[in-house]
Amino acid sequence: MDYNELINDYLDDANGHLNAFDGALLSLEKSGYSREVIQNLLGTLHTLKGNSGMMGFDSLKGYIHTLEELLKKVVDNEVDLNRVMDPLFDSANVIRNVLQEIGKERMVITDLAEKTKDIDEFLEGSDSGSKEQEMELASYLGTKTDTIKVDFKRLDDLLNLVGELVIFKTRLNQIGERTRAEITTKALGNELDSALELMGKTVSGLQEGIMKARMLPVRHVFHKFPRMVRDLSKAMGKEVSLLYDGEDTEIDKTVIDALEEPLLHMIRNAVDHGIEHPEKRVTEGKSREGRITLSASQESNYVIIKVKDDGRGIDFEKIRELAVKRGLITEETLFDKDSALSLIFSYGFTTREEATDVSGRGVGLDVVSRNIVRLNGYVDLEGSPGKGTTFIIKLPLSLAIIPALMVEAEGEVYAIPMSAVDESLKAREEDIHLVNNREVIRFREMVLPVVRLNDFFGLNAARQKKFYLVIVGKADKRLAVAVDRLRGQQDIVIKPLDDTLGKSYGIAGASVLGDGRIVLIVDIMSIYKKREVTRNG
Amino acid sequence: MAKLSLPLSGLAEDVLESIGGEADELQLVTFSIGEQYGVPISQVQEIIRIGNITKVPNSLPYMEGVINLRGKVLPVLNLRKRLKLPEKDISQESRIVVVEAGTKVIGLLVDAVSQVIKVSPDVVERAPEEVLEVDTDYITGVCKLKNRLVILIDLERLIRRENIEIAGGEGNGVA
Repeated sequence: MDYNELINDYLDDANGHLNAFDGALLSLEKSGYSREVIQNLLGTLHTLKGNSGMMGFDSLKGYIHTLEELLKKVVDNEVDLNRVMDPLFDSANVIRNVLQEIGKERMVITDLAEKTKDIDEFLEGSDSGSKEQEMELASYLGTKTDTIKVDFKRLDDLLNLVGELVIFKTRLNQIGERTRAEITTKALGNELDSALELMGKTVSGLQEGIMKARMLPVRHVFHKFPRMVRDLSKAMGKEVSLLYDGEDTEIDKTVIDALEEPLLHMIRNAVDHGIEHPEKRVTEGKSREGRITLSASQESNYVIIKVKDDGRGIDFEKIRELAVKRGLITEETLFDKDSALSLIFSYGFTTREEATDVSGRGVGLDVVSRNIVRLNGYVDLEGSPGKGTTFIIKLPLSLAIIPALMVEAEGEVYAIPMSAVDESLKAREEDIHLVNNREVIRFREMVLPVVRLNDFFGLNAARQKKFYLVIVGKADKRLAVAVDRLRGQQDIVIKPLDDTLGKSYGIAGASVLGDGRIVLIVDIMSIYKKREVTRNG
Repeated sequence: MAKLSLPLSGLAEDVLESIGGEADELQLVTFSIGEQYGVPISQVQEIIRIGNITKVPNSLPYMEGVINLRGKVLPVLNLRKRLKLPEKDISQESRIVVVEAGTKVIGLLVDAVSQVIKVSPDVVERAPEEVLEVDTDYITGVCKLKNRLVILIDLERLIRRENIEIAGGEGNGVA
């Protein structure tokens, strides 16, 4: 934050205190002495004094200090309140003028020492009376402020309303489409179209505006970790520096809050497992000091957060050996990067023989995965032995409204978050082949496993001759989800499912459609996991 | 004991209004699932007809699914299944009683809503020991009325039970 911003914040605050000062004086003038009002007034002045001192406006600080002294004398019954009212009213104006100066000139010009002396003299009892402070009329208004403090709950309520509005918009569009077919006059049809279009634009604008108002730069969470990294690395005899990239990227406050815990675990993991001891690093030709870089960037409606370390990287072979040793898989089990990743992100798995204070208990990364999935996000890992590790988190910019692909399985409509969808295509039963008794499909030189949504949700469905495949995931983690029909893409408002329902495994939440129907949101991550289990188990 | 039939709206608020209330009397919304059951009217938000219920895969067997209650996603519990009673098809009489159980709001699917009754706490007896099996501690008492019994349900316990089952229940399939 630069100095100008700080001054603006200070002025916003100071004007608030000044108004409280005025208010208290008016109340004293009207209703006479009240210990409570004076106490509050002292509190207000004290804060203003502190803030002014912090900003380096020492003369103002001194002036306010004298006012405090004056008021304390009133409290101690040394001076009669009525005697000091006029000087106090004057002093409020003095402060008002000074704040105006600060607003314009960024500094205090008025000779406050003089004014301070006036009050001191008054305190001594040698003052001949108050000198009316000359005021420009406009200065009573104080400086204008460009920021307001809003309770986050209000923004939340607004976003909920906008969410409903988005639903109604969709519904209106659907009705519009149906009506369009029955409208015979061309002009009326065009009017309907343009009205719908304009409304659509306005709703989108409104949605965007509200979402923007809720956003904070990601540095709010990034900057929570330097101290932790310092203490952890010191305790382990490592040298680690924490770097940032793209920390001005803005994300919804709820996402920022929800990122804290996963980041904590990933950074801790990087310090403990990733970065090597300085001596080891030097022998490997690396710098003594390890680096952990937190970066954030925006890609269309998603934000990508990376936690990158230049440490020892992940040894997939070691993970396989451990998994075999612990009986999680057998020597013969097909083991690829996918399986390694799902092991790393599962509960209770650790590469440590013994748990340390910091990590090694096998909890941590499973928390990461679970939290990110709850946010409809996606977590991935890159890296190779010796070259370091990068955790990649992909999250929707907003937790509340996400684009989703609507699909149908056994008559029910489900929503698949677009964050997971790569593409979708038509398929026929004969396109599916059996390899090792598992269904796969050839897709652009790749063989992808097929998961039928019907089966996944335990719905007993007759096999369709023609169906659709939604390709989800990316790179080597792709798979094809078979659904009966595609119903188009749509923004949906996510509502969490209550835990009284039970685990509802595979469901990430629910959303209400324009026609009032509820659709369930498919949790793509759980499809991967289920696949791993059936394969390994 | 005063007997009152439900107002046309079927809304609990309206019922409350029409009754007024005396401090030491218990007011119960009663409904039937074979036997008569009752919950305190203060915990009942409203009573609605059965609309579209969306089944939720892999949820607890006695959870019927979710419904859209004015834009909110409300879980619905099938009370017959929860109390391990024989199942019965949804009929014209079936209702969802929207209740507050602690911090949660859920719907209870019941065969029919009977009436709101006022009873004096004297007629409430503790449930006989023999009906209190391991999983029935949500039954807090029995109201002995002239010609019938009303079984009182503690909604929070009804829900808390579930949480225990979730915690100890089926694994989520992660290795």
